[in-house]
Amino acid sequence: MNKYTVINPHEPFRVLNTHVHNVDGWAKVTGRATYTFDVKLPGMLYGKILRSPHAHAIIKNIDYSKALEMPGVKAAVCGKLDTLGIKQGIWRRYKDLCDEQILPVDKVRYIGEPVAAVAAVTEEIAEKALELIEVDYEVLPGVFEPLDAIKKDAPQLHEGFERNINVTRHIEWGDADEGFEEADEDDGKGGKKGYIREDWFRCGGQAHMCMETRCAVSSYTPDNKLTIYHSNQGCYYMQGLMAGVLGMREGDIRVIGAYTGGGFGGKFELDGAIFCSAVLSKKCMKPVKIVYTREEDFIATKRRTPMFYYTRTAVTRDGTFLAREAKVFTNGGAYTGMGATALYLTGFFHSFPYEWKKGYRYDGYRVYTNTLPSTSMRGFGAPQAMWCSEQQIEWIAADLGLDPIEMRRKNSHKEGTILPGQATIASCGIDQCYDEITKWIKSKGKLPANRSIGISACGFMSGGIFNWFDSPYSFSSAVVTINQDGTVELHIGAHDIGQGSNTTMAIICAETLGVRVEDIKVHSGDTDHCPPDLGAWGSRQTLMTGNATKMAAENAKKQLLEFAYAQSGLNIVYDLDIKDRWVHAIARPERGEDFGQLVKKALRGKDGQKIIGRGYYTPHRKGMISPAYSYMLQGVEVEVDEETGKISLIDSMTAHDCGQPINHLGLIGQLEGAFSMAAGYGYLEYMPYEDGKLMNPNLVDYKMIRAPEMPPANIAEIDTYEPEGPYGAKEAGEGLTNPTAAAIGNALFHRFGIQMKECPVRPHMVVDALREKKEKDAEKK
Amino acid sequence: MISDFKYLKPGSVKEALEMLAEHQDDCKIICGGQSLLVIMRQGLISPEYLIDIKGLNDANYLTYDAKDGLKIGATCTHRTVEKSAQVLEKYPVLVEMERKLASIQVRNWGTVAGNLAHGDPAGDPAPVLIAMNGAVKLGSTKGERVVPLDQFYPDLFETAMDHDEIIVEVLVPPSPAKTATKYQKFNLLDSDMGLIGVAVSVTLNGGGVCKDARVVLGSAAPTVIRSSEAEKTLIGARLDDAVFEKAGEAAASECSPVSDIHASEEYRRHLVRVLTKRMAKAAWEQAKISG
Amino acid sequence: MEKRLITLNVNDQDYELYINPKTLLVEAIRDHIELTGTKRGCDTVSCGACTVMVDGMAVKGCSVLAVQAEGTKIVTAEGLETNGKLHPIQKAFLDEGAFQCGFCTSGMLMSAVAFLNETKNPTEKQIRDGIEGNICRCTGYNSIVRAIEAVAKGKYTEDKA
Repeated sequence: MNKYTVINPHEPFRVLNTHVHNVDGWAKVTGRATYTFDVKLPGMLYGKILRSPHAHAIIKNIDYSKALEMPGVKAAVCGKLDTLGIKQGIWRRYKDLCDEQILPVDKVRYIGEPVAAVAAVTEEIAEKALELIEVDYEVLPGVFEPLDAIKKDAPQLHEGFERNINVTRHIEWGDADEGFEEADEDDGKGGKKGYIREDWFRCGGQAHMCMETRCAVSSYTPDNKLTIYHSNQGCYYMQGLMAGVLGMREGDIRVIGAYTGGGFGGKFELDGAIFCSAVLSKKCMKPVKIVYTREEDFIATKRRTPMFYYTRTAVTRDGTFLAREAKVFTNGGAYTGMGATALYLTGFFHSFPYEWKKGYRYDGYRVYTNTLPSTSMRGFGAPQAMWCSEQQIEWIAADLGLDPIEMRRKNSHKEGTILPGQATIASCGIDQCYDEITKWIKSKGKLPANRSIGISACGFMSGGIFNWFDSPYSFSSAVVTINQDGTVELHIGAHDIGQGSNTTMAIICAETLGVRVEDIKVHSGDTDHCPPDLGAWGSRQTLMTGNATKMAAENAKKQLLEFAYAQSGLNIVYDLDIKDRWVHAIARPERGEDFGQLVKKALRGKDGQKIIGRGYYTPHRKGMISPAYSYMLQGVEVEVDEETGKISLIDSMTAHDCGQPINHLGLIGQLEGAFSMAAGYGYLEYMPYEDGKLMNPNLVDYKMIRAPEMPPANIAEIDTYEPEGPYGAKEAGEGLTNPTAAAIGNALFHRFGIQMKECPVRPHMVVDALREKKEKDAEKK
Repeated sequence: MISDFKYLKPGSVKEALEMLAEHQDDCKIICGGQSLLVIMRQGLISPEYLIDIKGLNDANYLTYDAKDGLKIGATCTHRTVEKSAQVLEKYPVLVEMERKLASIQVRNWGTVAGNLAHGDPAGDPAPVLIAMNGAVKLGSTKGERVVPLDQFYPDLFETAMDHDEIIVEVLVPPSPAKTATKYQKFNLLDSDMGLIGVAVSVTLNGGGVCKDARVVLGSAAPTVIRSSEAEKTLIGARLDDAVFEKAGEAAASECSPVSDIHASEEYRRHLVRVLTKRMAKAAWEQAKISG
Repeated sequence: MEKRLITLNVNDQDYELYINPKTLLVEAIRDHIELTGTKRGCDTVSCGACTVMVDGMAVKGCSVLAVQAEGTKIVTAEGLETNGKLHPIQKAFLDEGAFQCGFCTSGMLMSAVAFLNETKNPTEKQIRDGIEGNICRCTGYNSIVRAIEAVAKGKYTEDKA
């Protein structure tokens, strides 16, 4: 039901961008894939976490002695008595942002924060035992909204953060004020030379809602080693962070994160499951498993960052973007976590995908509040940024009577665009994206009266540059080992959370080595066996781990070809390559030998040692944000029931530039999946809080798209070539989460002229907006 | 967590009623359990005994005859009703309603009788069955009695059943001539429970005037209610858009919906107004062409 | 509380279980029979990750007591293949990439199989309604619908063993 077209397709590769089955497919479709959720170890106990009922309180005392007396309970822990009290955070490089004790010692700062945990022989006993833990709280006043938390007399969450301002970010290039001045100049005819528009927006949070809730099995053994099974997005991060909080050596901790049931940005920080299970296990020397209920997953795992956005934009009368200034307050919740990155990225992508002739300026303030900490979630601040930017741009076009697509197009990035001090755009296919969307809109013809189309443009990063984790390792590494029968072991630290990175890397490895995907066995998700990698976030793995994999495969291939060259007797001007397991002279492909035969010879030539190729990648001198950027334009056809305000999605088209697609099935899956999540952010997934309490922590009351709600997701794939990426590839996992909310908003604007400032847009908001507009229009008359 | 219970498995409806008479307040009946297990898991109830009637195949029937109408047995599932060609012919609104009830999985195992006994004011079957003048036959060791469904819900999640009674049958009388019933719930997702639900039944006389009408609102009050005011605007009138508007206004004024995280009271009333108007019109249009 | 001795027939094999009657079918399958393909993703009968087939009907294993399933034929995702040969729906899922993290997949497969067994020549709308009870956070459903459609159209024939 989807249409898939390719614009400027590249030369066909043998493996790249062909129809390759997901390498984990067999395990997943036959029920054999073992997730952390399924892990069972001998002697394993079940852990449960006691959570704070208060949004803000001092912990005066915790007494778990009665819980320990309950038959079947084997251990109980709390922050003060059983941990080192180390404050940690994923922004390891900045000690002041390491502000979170998973089991707090002194204070709780959000409803649902862990305060104690027990391990027992059954889950039921562990849960009952929680009721016997006595916690003495001194309740403090709480503050729940960032604009309240920055007031002078607001309760302070953390020492040393005045006005609860946790992080600030400033991004600037050019001179935005010059642009505003120019637009504000009189044109000598009673008007202004340009046009300035300012708007306030409110962006909601969102729950990751991974199908597999947070869970971990920790096994601490008497030799002071810790093995952890954990559902996460980066085993290396967990290893590093756990070593930090437990006072252990990284090498004494093994993190295994084999099959992971979704991540979406919520699973690469420490959580209560991994920490409490480890502390419990250490106490009783038995494996302890903690699995979050769905309710716990909603209330106690971090969420997408809600934001208040002020954005002011200046344009010329003919629609040239002169300047933009944005000020954003984000609801950081109780701790920093990855929220610091979201603060930066939202401000950066709020400028995308446009050049600002005079300048751009962003000031972001992340504010502590007594609510669930907010963190990264697919899109990482960009969905919020586009909700505001792309709608305001649409309104500006309407205010000036300009074509919204052409106005966008002429201001868009191009190959070679420089964002001073921030980024250089080395590949950009957005111009063709505009062509495809225009074509699609035209093809739709006249729409029924109750439907309209809205569009949104955006771009996104292919991995981040900033080393906030302070890792001494390459950002990505890979090892390729060739076995005597020509099969290949690929060891990577990249983490497959469903986005198909195992398959993508197998494809890159196979393409580079000249073998088939079936010849590659991918090893990932185990710190004992796999090289460190920063893991799955910011859409980094295709580019970064892809580069490492390509380098490792090239390295192995080179070593192998040395033997081929040696025995070939070829003149120096001829070179060899491997394609389809055939080692051959490129100029004379009929001359060659079977890959498997060559491997055996090479093995003997190396004293029986397998050929091992190493590869790694860390971005250098690529600006402040990312080594490469994807681009896209999306159109969504929206039907609205005018009387009830109910929104239905009818059709969509996304023109997308990810450079060179690698994993064809994976790419389609990512684009379609991102759409469903992004659309949910636009009109469905509200997360109402009351005094710090989440009011819908279950799947009845938290609304998400199901099969009947999902429209067709047509795709026009625009192939470009990104020099920094493996075979020219860029990201395709996250960027698509950015435009949809704004596209839906723009569809509403086109049909009704209403300007929705808050997302998700719910039916009663549409009804209210329509009524207000009617009243306003009546007043005018 | 579900609390422990003693599990009883009667071999017949009679035996089930005897067990019920013996244990009264200390027990609960489980059949499909699609609602029951959820509230047990939430710790809202912890019965000492659970009487499982799922296996009582004698109670698993769906019959129709022109005289008595439709009879749905105690253990008959939603899915059986949904897939019945006969129900589709005689009571198409029941099939439409079932198609949007929860999910196929829930409909495969859950029962209509169980749904009615649970008494959720947001439930789908009750408004539709009330609009069709449905009733439930209650059984106990003392005998049987029939209670019209519009008298079955005295309060929120409460039914008119005594502690020793179960629903043994759901009865839907034959539709009078020139009658149609339509139902719609308002939700964001296709098979969600409705923020509100409205069922309207319209009977026309030979001259096209509305002879009888039932307007039933779900999730618009502590229990499923009929809007007698809305019904009054329809009965005796020659139906047109203006009348439908009036019916909507009447229903909106008469109901008492809650405000919660999903919708304000004001918005719910607004939806009642819109859906009542629409369902009244839809029922009228279908009644016009029906036999 | 008395445990009960029951026999469950899962994937054509009888298993004798001695369980607390409050044990859910999904718990019996995962924890007692130790077939962990079927998952759990919620507590409110919402997500469908626990979907199995009971006498050919898709049901959610989290809202069925194991004791109620005695005497029925239960099929889980592990039971779809025959002697290592994949069921058509499994092949279709592979071809369409109709899964990503895979956590919802076992339940989704069972809903798909039950649906296909009951509905011949389904429309796209019917397919979407057919899997309405299963949440997938990763795929956006369209690849799953394509896979079901392909099977319905007869693209895959069951290999004769």
